[in-house]
Amino acid sequence: MNFQIPIGPQHPALKEPIGLRITVDGEIIREADLRLGYNHRGIEKLAESKTWIQNIYLMERICGICSHSHTTCYVQGVEKLMEIQAPKRGLYIRTLVAELERIHSHLLWLGVAGHEAGFDSFFMYVWRDREIVMDILEIISGNRVHYAINTIGGVRRDLDELQVKNILDSLSVLRKRSEYYLNLGTTEPSFVARLAGVGYLSKEDALALCAVGPTLRASGVPMDVRKDDPYAVYDEVPFEVCTADTGDVLGRTVVRIKELFQSYNIIEYLLKNLPTGPIAVRAPRRPKSNEVVSRYEAPRGENIHYIKSNGTEKPERLKVRAPTLGNYAATIKMLKNGFIADVPLIFAAIDPCICCAERAVAIVDARTGQEKIVSTSSLKQLKQNVSPNKERKREVVWPL
Amino acid sequence: MNDQILIEKAKEGLKEKILNIANPAPRRIFLKVAVDNLLETISWLKNEQGFTHLSTISGVDLGPSFEILYHFANNFCSFTIRTEIPRDNPSLPSICQLIPGAILYERELQDMLGLNVQNIPDPRPLLLPDDWPAGNYPLRKDWKFERPAEVIPGGKK
Amino acid sequence: MATVRTLVYLFIYPGLLFIFIYSTFCEWYDRKLYARLQNRMGPTHTGRGGILQPIADFFKLMSKEDIVPERADKGMFSALPAFGLAIVSTAMLLIPVWNYQLSQPSLISFNGDLIVLLYLLTLPTFIFFLAGWSSTNLFSTIGATRVLTMLFGYEVPLFLAVLSPAILANSWRLAEIAAFYRQRPWLMLVNLLGFVIALISVQAKLERTPFDIPHAETEIVGGTFTEYSGKKLALFRLMLDVELVVASALLATVFLGGFPGGFWLGLLNFIIKTLVVIFILSLIRATTSRIRVDQVVSFSWRYLAPLAVLQLLIVILVKGLIS
Repeated sequence: MNFQIPIGPQHPALKEPIGLRITVDGEIIREADLRLGYNHRGIEKLAESKTWIQNIYLMERICGICSHSHTTCYVQGVEKLMEIQAPKRGLYIRTLVAELERIHSHLLWLGVAGHEAGFDSFFMYVWRDREIVMDILEIISGNRVHYAINTIGGVRRDLDELQVKNILDSLSVLRKRSEYYLNLGTTEPSFVARLAGVGYLSKEDALALCAVGPTLRASGVPMDVRKDDPYAVYDEVPFEVCTADTGDVLGRTVVRIKELFQSYNIIEYLLKNLPTGPIAVRAPRRPKSNEVVSRYEAPRGENIHYIKSNGTEKPERLKVRAPTLGNYAATIKMLKNGFIADVPLIFAAIDPCICCAERAVAIVDARTGQEKIVSTSSLKQLKQNVSPNKERKREVVWPL
Repeated sequence: MNDQILIEKAKEGLKEKILNIANPAPRRIFLKVAVDNLLETISWLKNEQGFTHLSTISGVDLGPSFEILYHFANNFCSFTIRTEIPRDNPSLPSICQLIPGAILYERELQDMLGLNVQNIPDPRPLLLPDDWPAGNYPLRKDWKFERPAEVIPGGKK
Repeated sequence: MATVRTLVYLFIYPGLLFIFIYSTFCEWYDRKLYARLQNRMGPTHTGRGGILQPIADFFKLMSKEDIVPERADKGMFSALPAFGLAIVSTAMLLIPVWNYQLSQPSLISFNGDLIVLLYLLTLPTFIFFLAGWSSTNLFSTIGATRVLTMLFGYEVPLFLAVLSPAILANSWRLAEIAAFYRQRPWLMLVNLLGFVIALISVQAKLERTPFDIPHAETEIVGGTFTEYSGKKLALFRLMLDVELVVASALLATVFLGGFPGGFWLGLLNFIIKTLVVIFILSLIRATTSRIRVDQVVSFSWRYLAPLAVLQLLIVILVKGLIS
């Protein structure tokens, strides 16, 4: 017997709204379909009516978890358009925040993966230690989520000696804890039984479906924008691209935990070699008419902005491709022929950060399994049709 | 320089199909082709140069025409193929045969710019709701958003 | 006098009132322990250390709106929670909470009460299945089928593991089994393997991590309980709490020597031993992640069932040795 299960737009497994329809045969998934747009905010259109400076803060609000990724990607593109070069110290601080953000995002993901697999103790422990990195970010920028540290031509806040010392101290704690999680996450039998072999994505499929980030690297493709197309100061920082060959959720977990250690190394290098000097240069109000492709390795994968200027104070076109969108096609592939029980894990394994989704409501008839998508207005109509004779509370009186 | 080698190879492999090729920054190459040569160019890029990763497809409304940019990447370079299609006949071929991962970006183009992607495997709307009025394409420059007046049930008329 | 005694037995101790208070206490104990193991605080607000939180939750749910889905089988949907609570409460009465006269079997302690108790513990599983099935919600339906699939996995090992001590004690009566092991404490060691198997199976029966598959929230929302709300959900939650107490009391009786020592000492024994069993169950819950339903079945038949048979063999051998 085939039937369809709606996962989302509202579902406990999803931290953000997205519409996923899976057709199952018993416990096995036969088909999966994706509907985006539930949460579509029209940021690309909005960006065309904002100035270059205002857009930094707009880009920051594309996503909470990777807010620094989008601003950095945007800002370094605009810097190229304006033909200015951010000073070394500014770039170091920018990279530092980027790596701290990667740590916080990967720790968050690790906890969520534990929760999706029903391993709540793991989730609680990881998130407790994630507070450490959140505190570091607060020391640097004053904020826990939207750091607002980037500006065109550099960064907005400087670091002092005491802060550097504090960060290095907290980092050693974090490193010790991560070793414990690496051990736990890859040896706890019931956890590994849930992760190993789940959501398999072969190397060929990963390449053909244009997967990005840890999803791609876990299928054995060493692609990392930080290495391939070094931006900021990544060309002077020593680090390795972490890959795994298993192509399953366990591989993605291992890649992310390995990246945590790389990030610790990078941060230590950055803090020990922090150059002196200014943190920002003055930027002109408007760039020349030009275009630029800016790439950035966000925690979830390659983030790409295409920016086109027309010589005014506002961009002509600002195209944002968040890494999650690049991974959706691969997710559909991974879901097929899996178990229902693995849906949250597979979906979580790409670390979805949903900045684009849908505005329709699907009604599934429980008896026939038929489904129709309706708009909110007809839903209200439907509500009145279902119980036309029921007494309704009188219309609320507007208090003012 | 890697970019130079790639440009030389492009000139050899594509010859007169190249309308324009530019290298404005290190590791960035912009190649302009006519829309009829798009599929051949992409298959050349994928099969002979090994650019398997399509980062995204951007569409720009230039007024009388639309500009479509295919951003490819490999471990050394970001390669952008651009093409222009006229506004009164906005249709372009689907590249899903070559790059299966392009499907979401092409559906997004259809939704947002109203382009007609031919031979697309799955033409349903992706981002906009099913009851979105036809002929409204948010990313076209002539489309203006008007916020509907907020009505509070039982509120002041 | 006998009537009063029976009424007290049914309604106060160890009847409904005691069951309610003790099972909510056990829920608090389990929650608090689970929270502390996870580096959280757990309930803190209601009562000292949050000890009254489960009771507060119960009354809060009782006062909430009760929704019955339009397409549900209404009679069945509404009756099941009450049935379930009645069944597990009945099972509780069969536990030899204080000293029974071993010489004279009565209505609540008779030869074969072990079997009745085990079957009364099987019924809640069917209650969950029917509850999920009659909700006609997709998630409930999947939850219901998962309940049944899991039942095939853990039921046989549980029965084998619990019955083998009875074979050694040569009795089907709980009070007699407990008395047998109290007289020969070293024989309890023979059943150690069975105790471990029974603990795992009970964990599966109670649908707690790693076997919380039928109501895995990240996969199928609320599972069997997706459509339940208000009073019915409150009764179901109370039922799960009582089932936890009954199951741990059963294990304590069969494997840990029962609850000797008259009224007060017996009660003390009961509390300590059930809390020890619940402690182990909470520990399992905190240190594992949820496994898949197919993994449950293969795990049970690949490891638990053969080990249970091995336990049975050991028991038969030991029985031959000591007689």
